[in-house]
Amino acid sequence: MAGKLNPILVNSLLALLCGLLLLWSSFAFPGPVRMLADKWGAALYVPELPALELRMLVQATGNWVMERKSLQDRNSELELENLALRTALQQAIAPQPIEAGEMIGGRVTLRYPDAWWKEIRIDRGARHGIRVGAPALSDGFIIGKVVRVGDDYAWVELVTSSSFLLAAVVDDTWDLGVINGDDRGNIWLLYTPPEKKFERGMIISTALVGDYLPPGIPIGKIWEEGEPRDGFMPQKVVSGAHLTQLYNVQILRTGDIRRAED
Amino acid sequence: MIILALVWLIQDFFQVFVTRIILVPEIFLLAALYMLVSGPLHPRRVAGWMWYVFCGGVLWDLRWAAVPGMSGLLNVAALVAVYWIWDRTPAGGRSTALFAAVAGTVHLLSGAALYLAWPLPVQAAMRIFAIQQLLMIPALAILCAVYAFKASKAHV
Repeated sequence: MAGKLNPILVNSLLALLCGLLLLWSSFAFPGPVRMLADKWGAALYVPELPALELRMLVQATGNWVMERKSLQDRNSELELENLALRTALQQAIAPQPIEAGEMIGGRVTLRYPDAWWKEIRIDRGARHGIRVGAPALSDGFIIGKVVRVGDDYAWVELVTSSSFLLAAVVDDTWDLGVINGDDRGNIWLLYTPPEKKFERGMIISTALVGDYLPPGIPIGKIWEEGEPRDGFMPQKVVSGAHLTQLYNVQILRTGDIRRAED
Repeated sequence: MIILALVWLIQDFFQVFVTRIILVPEIFLLAALYMLVSGPLHPRRVAGWMWYVFCGGVLWDLRWAAVPGMSGLLNVAALVAVYWIWDRTPAGGRSTALFAAVAGTVHLLSGAALYLAWPLPVQAAMRIFAIQQLLMIPALAILCAVYAFKASKAHV
């Protein structure tokens, strides 16, 4: 047994001695030991090169993935922000729907054939809060304004009436004009400058010029140019409402507007 | 010896790959222990393995610690301890489980000795030490599987 252990014991002691010597020399002579370590490191450069390249590849891939994720997150944030801004913009520029509480619904009870494009009578009057000058709407577009009021009825002058005059604005260009009918079913935007070119489809809304009408109520769209008259170029307007099939209309409670403005 | 040198290079390869992140397990030491117990325990052969693991440890320290000697001494101590246990175990008791227990314990103690010598904050050193010991498990499992396979072939 002792014979078996002896070489192991001897070699163990030798290894222990060498190890301790190396440890002592690394503290006593750090320069040569470092030089040795550098030379060994340089000798291992070639065998370690694949691992080094692989590590750099993995790091680059990780960075790329992180960067891509960061960009995707940023893109998602911007898309959401863009959507929110677009929605806010659309809400700002779109005609604001008038709340149901401000509207009085009425049915058309009379429309004379000889005044088909001039006026209609509805079954709501002063008892229901309707006042002279209040705008009448159909499908969200203005179709006229109240000109006479009884207790239980009211007469609405249509935008196609030749005596109807209403200040209006072209939403896209902010050009002002006056809406006027011709008693034949046509609507014109008067007093627009001849040098101004309007495109078909431009929206026309009420302008902020009166006490009775709030601004921004849509009237219709520009259809085509008319004949020059008195130095102006009238624009033919198509109403957004079905003026030939008026069965129900809504009257805006104008008294509320004036109170609010006050 | 060539196989052992290759294993040293593999361990070095892994350490380069994960440098500054973790410490790889002592694959070289585990492989040396496996080679020791899977052959005859002649004193001269054991003495030869002793110098192999010593040199491997010194070279490892030169590459990664710049304080040569520590790993060499620990490797030699581990090898002697395993030899001592294996030599005193009857042939019938030299099972895969015993090898796993001995090699795992030796690796753990060797790692703990290095852990105590690291000039790192305790928490960071403990994390590195724990990860190294956890990563040792698959390496040891592979060696145990090879040992078990060779043992079953020898019995057939």
